[in-house]
Amino acid sequence: MFLQQLANGVMLGSTYALAAIGYTLIFGVLRLLHLAHGEVFMIGAFAGLQAALIWHFGPLLALIAGALGAAIVGVLIEVIAFRPIRRRGNSHLAPIVSTVGVGLVLQEVMTKLFGSEQIAFPSGLQKQVFDLGFMSVTGSQLFILGTAAVSMIALHQFVTHTRYGMAMRATSENIHVAAILGINVDAIILVTFAVASALAGVAGVLVGLNFNAISPFMGFDMGIKGMAIIVIGGLGSIYGAMAGGLILGIAEVLSVAYLASSFRDAFAFGLMVLILIIRPRGLFGTGIGTAR
Amino acid sequence: MPLYPMLGRSVVLALAITGSSVGAATADVTIGVLTPLSGKGASYGQQQKNAIAMFLEKYGDIGGPAGKLQLVTYDTRGDNAEAINLTRKLIDSDQVLAIIGPQFSGEAEVSFPLAVRGQTPIITPMAAKAGITAANRPWAFRFALTTEKVYGPLLDAWLKKQAASKPIKDVVIFVDLKDAVSNYDAKTVFPPLLKERGIKVADTISFQTGDIDFSAQVTRAKSLEPDGVIVSSLFSEAAHVVDEMRKQGMNQPVVGAIGINHPRFITVGGTATEGVFAASDFFSENPKPEVAEWAAEFVKRFGDRPSNAAGEIYDTLYLMRECIKSTGVTGNNVKEDRVKLRDCWAGLKDAEAPLTGATSMDKNGDGTRIPTVLEVKDGKFTVVQ
Repeated sequence: MFLQQLANGVMLGSTYALAAIGYTLIFGVLRLLHLAHGEVFMIGAFAGLQAALIWHFGPLLALIAGALGAAIVGVLIEVIAFRPIRRRGNSHLAPIVSTVGVGLVLQEVMTKLFGSEQIAFPSGLQKQVFDLGFMSVTGSQLFILGTAAVSMIALHQFVTHTRYGMAMRATSENIHVAAILGINVDAIILVTFAVASALAGVAGVLVGLNFNAISPFMGFDMGIKGMAIIVIGGLGSIYGAMAGGLILGIAEVLSVAYLASSFRDAFAFGLMVLILIIRPRGLFGTGIGTAR
Repeated sequence: MPLYPMLGRSVVLALAITGSSVGAATADVTIGVLTPLSGKGASYGQQQKNAIAMFLEKYGDIGGPAGKLQLVTYDTRGDNAEAINLTRKLIDSDQVLAIIGPQFSGEAEVSFPLAVRGQTPIITPMAAKAGITAANRPWAFRFALTTEKVYGPLLDAWLKKQAASKPIKDVVIFVDLKDAVSNYDAKTVFPPLLKERGIKVADTISFQTGDIDFSAQVTRAKSLEPDGVIVSSLFSEAAHVVDEMRKQGMNQPVVGAIGINHPRFITVGGTATEGVFAASDFFSENPKPEVAEWAAEFVKRFGDRPSNAAGEIYDTLYLMRECIKSTGVTGNNVKEDRVKLRDCWAGLKDAEAPLTGATSMDKNGDGTRIPTVLEVKDGKFTVVQ
């Protein structure tokens, strides 16, 4: 049973990781917590759902629709909620509060449009089961794993081998020097938001496909867990977010399996506190680059 | 006595008399309704809203001195704190004669004491956790059956069916810790009933309302290899648990607690719900003509099959109207009218309601009637013979 639980944890963890990567990207570049990122994840799920319902898209196209929908919303959030407040001054709190507001607005709008109930995702993926003897996986779980792996590898390539990726890394190291050196910082921030939100959208569609339950409130949970993950992994580190997501997913599943589900959140956040005590900069945090 | 105070008093008296007679001409009987229209349990709340609309159209006019039935409906969002505030509001500022609701056992537990303090009869159409009415006598009532009245016949019917193929010796209970009645059932109601029938509980595995990932819990249950499974939760989580069970290859027979009595259990769970046993006093596929007609109209108007929530609030409203008629309350004297309604409810015996049949109130204020054991067959709840 332990291996099966481990597999369950890895599946859950990869969806967490995808959402958390976006969080940490935005934090890395802007040094700001995007507290509406969970809602972007939720909107991605709904965008994918609409694509599946209206145009009868299969899972792959629903993923693309979800990523696109989330990316558009993410960019809009940057332009409407982040940028004007950033320009005003050096307050670190005001942009974060602004995102809290955006998150609430998005939640309420989606509730008005779709109702507050959980909605089922139409998909044909789930029913194939592959039995490996000591554990079994479903078709949709393999799909999740595959998509998450491909997304993370693609992101890694983007960040290390493309000019935009390099510009993003430069901006996250020191935004002022990057601007002086000729990088169009505003454009890079937009690209960061787009990429981060697209990943969250993909995660949203994956969660919808696998767990067959989408609701306007699913983003809230993911937002909080995302914060825990980026702290565990190290603020600003993409690989930290990936590792942190997997660790959190496995920890949650194992605590439910061997203890009781009431311990699940206690475990997850207890882990975060523990890691903060032992290694305050997080698992992959560099300790530099956070000073400005 | 000096003239002016006497005059003053007479004027006040005259105004009071005319005021109350004006009141008698236009007073309507006001009943408060608490239902979760959004948030947790919005499914149940929306169905109740539709049932209320149907009821008012057919029975809104009470006739006689009572006039028309006025309902003041508030949305509790399934939240206990909100239920408290709204109960207070209904009693103190809206001056209702009685309250129908709240929906959930958790909400009822916190609202009932307020109704006792406010001396207002309060009847929950659906909260099923045992003991909450007994703790709040004489003002609190419950239309639904308490769960121990339901699960005895349910388990017997289920075991009888399984005995033919593979007798049940042990079960795993899945429980939603966050839902008051599901939690109570799994910990307090089911175990003694199971023990009476010689069945062991191999494990009680928990989750919470709103969870979407049940892989850990189901894997753990699977490793215990029980003969049967009991799911004590609301319909959405139950549907996902059953779905996850079938995905992981657990084919054991399943019994659901009362939380699954909702047509969306089958819509969300799909083919995984085939063969699940449940028990209810109202179900939309009931072939009885009154119920079938009512259900057909509900589907036509709202596009959704009615659940327990809709049927029970409709009948609760019906019995409330019967009480208003029989006691002749008019809304003029709120305090007295509340007492009259309370006594009417306490004395209900074999009162006929259109959808659930004859109801009596027992000495605890709990409804008694005969539940029907149901099985999911071909995507519908069907009666087990």
